[in-house]
This record gives sequence, structure tokens and C-alpha cells, in this order.
Amino acid sequence: MAVRIRLKRMGAHKAPFYRVVVSDSRSPRDGRFIEEIGTYNPVAQPAQVSIDEEKALKWLQTGAQASDTVRDLLSKAGVLKKFHELKQQK
Amino acid sequence: MKEHTPDALARTTRVNLLFDFYESLLTDKQRTILTYYYHDDFSLGEIASEFGISRQAVYDNIKRAEAILESYEEKLALLAKHERLMEMTDKLERDVKAIVTNEWDKQSIIDAIEQFRAAEGTAREGGESSWQHLKA
Repeated sequence: MAVRIRLKRMGAHKAPFYRVVVSDSRSPRDGRFIEEIGTYNPVAQPAQVSIDEEKALKWLQTGAQASDTVRDLLSKAGVLKKFHELKQQK
Repeated sequence: MKEHTPDALARTTRVNLLFDFYESLLTDKQRTILTYYYHDDFSLGEIASEFGISRQAVYDNIKRAEAILESYEEKLALLAKHERLMEMTDKLERDVKAIVTNEWDKQSIIDAIEQFRAAEGTAREGGESSWQHLKA
């Protein structure tokens, strides 16, 4: 079972807001997901990012695949760097 | 083929905003594919297998739909105007809070600003309401 980390658009019309969710690649767009690990609000000035680092690292280490946008977000939040450092240590 | 974009986030945000304004001018197929790609963050490969078409076809569809959205924005500038209005409204609210001392006056002006925001389609604390119709 492939596990993916994606953004899920929420929020009002003209005011997008995203959840960072972990989901099974085969449970498509019915809104079910395994776990929410953060949020992203691009409309706020400046944009607000909140990531549960511990959960994010746990999922990355178990091989969950992050989408391009999530990877972008995680790298901005410094989580990807930590993930690579942890990998180096092994 | 999935281009690695360091600014994938900025792209997603922009396209989703454009989509809010010009969605109804796209074909059903374009809307569906953009929704998968930008609202739900599916990969090209996932969308391709969902619809039984090639990744290249998905990619071409997305690029074409994006170009159409951008061309509407170029002509109509609804998003640019909306962003400008929201900036001005935020500034107005800050100024009112800082300057108006009478609480009664202040509240009624802020209420009016809220109504203006609602009319512009942007409630302050965005709930999860308006996207339900797309999930069907």
C-alpha cells in the first residue's frame, strides 16, 4: 500500500486554505485520510505554515511519499532537512 | 516528466485562486482534472490511471487549462482587483481600530467592513463550506 502525503484544499471561495494529510494512494477523493499532520494558509500575510514535525518525520521515515507541493512546504518548514540528517546518521 | 518545481506551492496557490474566479468558463473535463491536480494534489500518474489516459494527456490538459485561466486574468484581472481590494480593506480595518476611539462607532464601521468582505466572497475565518458541491 502506497502512502502519500498531500495537500487537501479547504477554505472558503477565494480564500484557499490547505490541510497536509496522509492518505492511502488508493482511497481517492472521498475525503478520508489517515492523519492530518499540518496546515497551510497562503492567504494570510505572511503565509502561515504549521507542521507537526514529529508526525511528518515518522511518516517520511516509514516511506510515505510526499507530493511536490508538500515537499516544497516541508522544505520551507525545515522538516526535509531534518529528515535527511536523520537518514545520514543511520 | 513531472517537472520538479521549487515553487510548486506558489503555483498551486495561484492556480487555485484563478480557478475560483474563472472556473465556470472551463469545460467540465478541464475542471475535473484541475480539481484533482490542484485541490486534491494528485500526481499526473494517479490522474492518468484514474481516467485511463496517458500522463502526457493529463499534463497537456492541465497546462492548457492553466493557460486559459491566465488569459482570462490578463483580460479581466478579477483576481488582481480582488487582492487589491482585500489589502485595502485590511488597511482600513487597522486604521479604524487605531484611530476611532468611540467603541460604538468602531464596531459599526467594522461590521460594515465585514459585510464588504462577505460581499466580496471572502469570509474572515474561512470555514470548509463552499467546496462541498465539488466533492460529489
